[in-house]
Amino acid sequence: MIGRPDRSGPSPMLPLAYLACATVAFLAAAIGTAWLAPELAGHYYHPRVLALTHTVTLGWITLSIMGASYQLIPVVLGRSIWSERLAWWELGVWVAGVTGMVAHFSLGSWGGLGAAAAMVAVGVAMHLVNVGLSLRGFTEWTFTARLMMLAHAGLCLTALLGVALAANHLWPVLPGAFLDRLHAHVQLALLGWIAPMILAVAARVYPMFLLAPPPLPWTCLVQLWGIGVGVPAVVAGLLGPRGLLPLGAFAVAAAAGSHAWSVLEMARARKRPSLDWGLRFSLTATAFILPACVLGLGLAAGRLSGSRAALGYAVSVLGGWISLTIAGMMLKIVPFLVWYRAYGSRAGRERVPMVGDLSAPRLEGLAHGLLAGGMSLLTVATLAGDAAWIRASGAILTLGALAFAAAIARALGHLSPRGRTQAAPLGRAAGEPAR
Amino acid sequence: MTSRMPVNPEEIGEALQKVRDPELGMSVADLGLIYGVRIEGGRVRIAMTLTTRGCPLHDAMTEWVRRAVGGVPGVEDVEVDLTFDPPWTPDRIAPRARR
Repeated sequence: MIGRPDRSGPSPMLPLAYLACATVAFLAAAIGTAWLAPELAGHYYHPRVLALTHTVTLGWITLSIMGASYQLIPVVLGRSIWSERLAWWELGVWVAGVTGMVAHFSLGSWGGLGAAAAMVAVGVAMHLVNVGLSLRGFTEWTFTARLMMLAHAGLCLTALLGVALAANHLWPVLPGAFLDRLHAHVQLALLGWIAPMILAVAARVYPMFLLAPPPLPWTCLVQLWGIGVGVPAVVAGLLGPRGLLPLGAFAVAAAAGSHAWSVLEMARARKRPSLDWGLRFSLTATAFILPACVLGLGLAAGRLSGSRAALGYAVSVLGGWISLTIAGMMLKIVPFLVWYRAYGSRAGRERVPMVGDLSAPRLEGLAHGLLAGGMSLLTVATLAGDAAWIRASGAILTLGALAFAAAIARALGHLSPRGRTQAAPLGRAAGEPAR
Repeated sequence: MTSRMPVNPEEIGEALQKVRDPELGMSVADLGLIYGVRIEGGRVRIAMTLTTRGCPLHDAMTEWVRRAVGGVPGVEDVEVDLTFDPPWTPDRIAPRARR
């Protein structure tokens, strides 16, 4: 069974609200990819490409991770959320701040961008305060807990550097080359915040979903040290001594490779008879780690250079590995939270649908094919710098995102009395003994 | 004086087969969540676990088990003890449920 907040955890509506907003951002990003094909075929430092990047990193990925955190911290770390009210305020501040950032990037308005970035930084601070106070007195420093702490430190540093970059446009004070600082900000977000959260959560929830043994201790150690040592080395190598960059990149690649190996091992040893689309999404996502590592190591070692390689790397990491992983986890988490909210109190007393009955396998399968294919094509198209193929990839991704959003909306529909009425005749009775 | 109907252990097992995890679709018996069943006259004591600590179905699952076993002829009282010692592992899943 999927973990969910314990009795002291927040209402399922809180993570669901985060995840619903994130789904909207995902759809917007897919449409933006098709729309901005000419810009994506050029240099990545373009205001509208930056708008698209922040729609993905802040609107889709970070919002999903924050929402999932409010569900998973009580389950994975056994701590209740310090303040549900603060988490709701955080969502409002975050959505307003990210919308403002994306709008001002699109317009190339640096003054407004600074204000919006400050708002996002406030959202980060609210999240860090809530998570930090939730973990007061925490002593069980498992692999997942340690990586989550590293990730939150990475989030804090990413936000600080991001605000500094925005402020530097108005009052130039930061030393060094601009693109180096920008790359450090990107790598902090990618490798210091997003990647360790994915590794941390995967180590705990994949065994639950797959009914498989947990990752072997040595794979956890490689991941922990790879991230803990590699990310500071990558950032330091970008801002200072270049020799640290390939060393750091190698350590991070070892962590990612170890994660991929452990996921494959869990899939092989699983006791779950069949894989649903959510799990297939997550396993497909793992395949993108290979091209991401090849491109990342090539860039760090100086074997690859230029905007196309950098964009191809970003697409394979953010689009292929991270986005498909998050999409898969959402297809698991959202139906369960909706089921718990809509039917949990009635289960065992009357006939209610099973969690699987809230899913839409055809839509999910369609989304899987379109999104996995679209991300593969987009990786190749950005490497080639071909606007026509980037537009075609964007169109495929838009269709995939629509199918994904429709599957999520179908599950969310059960929150309404009408949706519940229509679902009543479905399935077997969860928990209910046969009469 | 009325004689009490004896509790049939097989019927207890059948009742536990009908209590399903809503996400996995497997019965609590096939999942290996039942650690032990003790029958003392009309009183049935069940030791069970969950796949993970902090599971939201903490209360619901034990209530479903209590309700299912309580419906078995001869059962007058059901006590469900939840334990995480030893913790559940996937190896506890019945082979037939893995197919």
